[in-house]
Amino acid sequence: MAKVKGTSFVHRHAASLAVVPVMLIALVFYFGSAVWSMVMSMTASKIFPDMTFVGVKQYIRLFSDALWALSLSNLGWYALGSLGSLVLGFFLAVMLESNLAGERFFKTVFLYPMAVSLIITGLVWQWLFNPSMGLQQFFRDLGLQDFDFNLVGKKETVMWALVIASIWQSTGFYMVLSSAGIKGIDSEVWAASRIDGISKLRMYIEVIIPMMKFTFLTSFVLLSIGAVKAYDIIVAMTNGGPGGHSELPSYYIVDMYVNRQNIGMGAAGSTILLALVLGFILLFGAINLLSKKKE
Amino acid sequence: MKIDPSIRSQMILPNRLPAKNPLSKAIFYLLLSVFAVLFAMPLYVMIVTSLKSMDEIRMGHIFALPITPSFDAWDMAWNKAASGFDNTGLKSGFWNSVIILIPSLAMSVAFSSVCGYALACWNVKMGNFLLMALLVCAFIPFQVIMYPLIKMSVAVKLYNTSFGVSVVHTVLALPILTMIFKNYFASIPEELIKASRVDGGRFWGTFVYVVLPLSPNIMIVVAIMQITGIWNDFLVGLTFGNVKAYPMTVNLNNITQTQTGVRVYNVYMAAAMLTAIPPLLIYFFSGKMFIRGITAGALKG
Repeated sequence: MAKVKGTSFVHRHAASLAVVPVMLIALVFYFGSAVWSMVMSMTASKIFPDMTFVGVKQYIRLFSDALWALSLSNLGWYALGSLGSLVLGFFLAVMLESNLAGERFFKTVFLYPMAVSLIITGLVWQWLFNPSMGLQQFFRDLGLQDFDFNLVGKKETVMWALVIASIWQSTGFYMVLSSAGIKGIDSEVWAASRIDGISKLRMYIEVIIPMMKFTFLTSFVLLSIGAVKAYDIIVAMTNGGPGGHSELPSYYIVDMYVNRQNIGMGAAGSTILLALVLGFILLFGAINLLSKKKE
Repeated sequence: MKIDPSIRSQMILPNRLPAKNPLSKAIFYLLLSVFAVLFAMPLYVMIVTSLKSMDEIRMGHIFALPITPSFDAWDMAWNKAASGFDNTGLKSGFWNSVIILIPSLAMSVAFSSVCGYALACWNVKMGNFLLMALLVCAFIPFQVIMYPLIKMSVAVKLYNTSFGVSVVHTVLALPILTMIFKNYFASIPEELIKASRVDGGRFWGTFVYVVLPLSPNIMIVVAIMQITGIWNDFLVGLTFGNVKAYPMTVNLNNITQTQTGVRVYNVYMAAAMLTAIPPLLIYFFSGKMFIRGITAGALKG
């Protein structure tokens, strides 16, 4: 940090004034709003705000709603499935970091889904999963008469469809992070492996992957928070269906506020969401601290 | 300028292991090509579907090229598609998105660059505390602050207006952008700031004459990030806009979820393409800048 020592009062005053707007926005719109939501979650509010204190009643009501429980377990599966984009992204990065010609072309292809809206991702994958005109029909026309790829239509498989679409969307991103991690490894490590004649595969398993654990942990935190925030893709692809089997907490909360008009339960759900994310932030902070200590 | 560490690291030649073995090289190319085809497939399907007639689509050959390609579905999507409110297609949504985008881009860059500069180059009381707070803010899901933001925007009469959507986008972007600017400005050599002070440059003078001229790259990166991010947003536009102010993504979703009559997938795919083209153009033409934007946006958080 380029801090200027011994500046006059006016100088410091200008700098402090310059941060006031952002500071106020953080205080009012983020922390104020979060506290406001927490307060609402402990009131009897329904369609209209009602400031009668009811303690944890809204939370009890929330957790006795089967749909909320379902959305939490869906979130677990969705987060787990999204790990696929990290695995695939790392795998692609390893191949691309081998000095292949056409690296730029491949990277452009793998990353373009990141540039489009999740509404479009959801829409195009809904179309691809269309049972009578989409991929299923294509494979049946090839002679696989029993081919079943109607993932969106069935409650057992609908989360798979969301996971596939989200892997398509975000693999390129984790490929870029992994590439940066591989590039960041000291050149001496590679030189040493060449002298020792260690095979590339062993090199990756025994040296590179352990050295990249901070990249992976960061990616893991980002993936988890991405899963907690996922909303658009559900709207465009399934609207939570069939029968709530693709609802995630983020979708449940908006639905609670907007369609079911239950402020108290929506606020309770959003407070749980906040707690989840704060947990991940603590994890992220711990990782950052650890990685700084290492340096 | 070689002041940005992420640029510097890219300039050092990577010492990676070349795939010497021709067999492993061939396998890599094969695998990469298979995945490239898989990743490109949805875009291909979107384009060919948008050029077909519904009769042709019902034949069920999703990968087939259109027999008689036509832009009828594109015309329909842009000018006439029904969104449940009116039959004016996507074009109103396109202009709404532009109207939402411009003020939020200007406001978010203005506030965050000045704040990032103050935090990076000057002694600000509780500066580190503010940075910690911003880090937490950057992770808070929108749902957590949605209800209070709606209440506040109703109170100041910004709810259901496109400017209200712009303000919410600005609020949501400030934490991450401030951190990105702060990290970038912190890499400006201290001597330059000191020299400017000796020459009589004060807070704003140093910002305008020393810092900004060194920052065209980061400005472009942030602009790309913001333009694609705001363009692709759905939830903020849905909750804070209204029929007259819905951005293109909400318009697109309304068109595809209007359950009157048959589902016209050629129109839906044309509408999806029209919505995707602006960010895709930015992506294909900006290359590395786009990559820096998304990685900075995610990691510095």
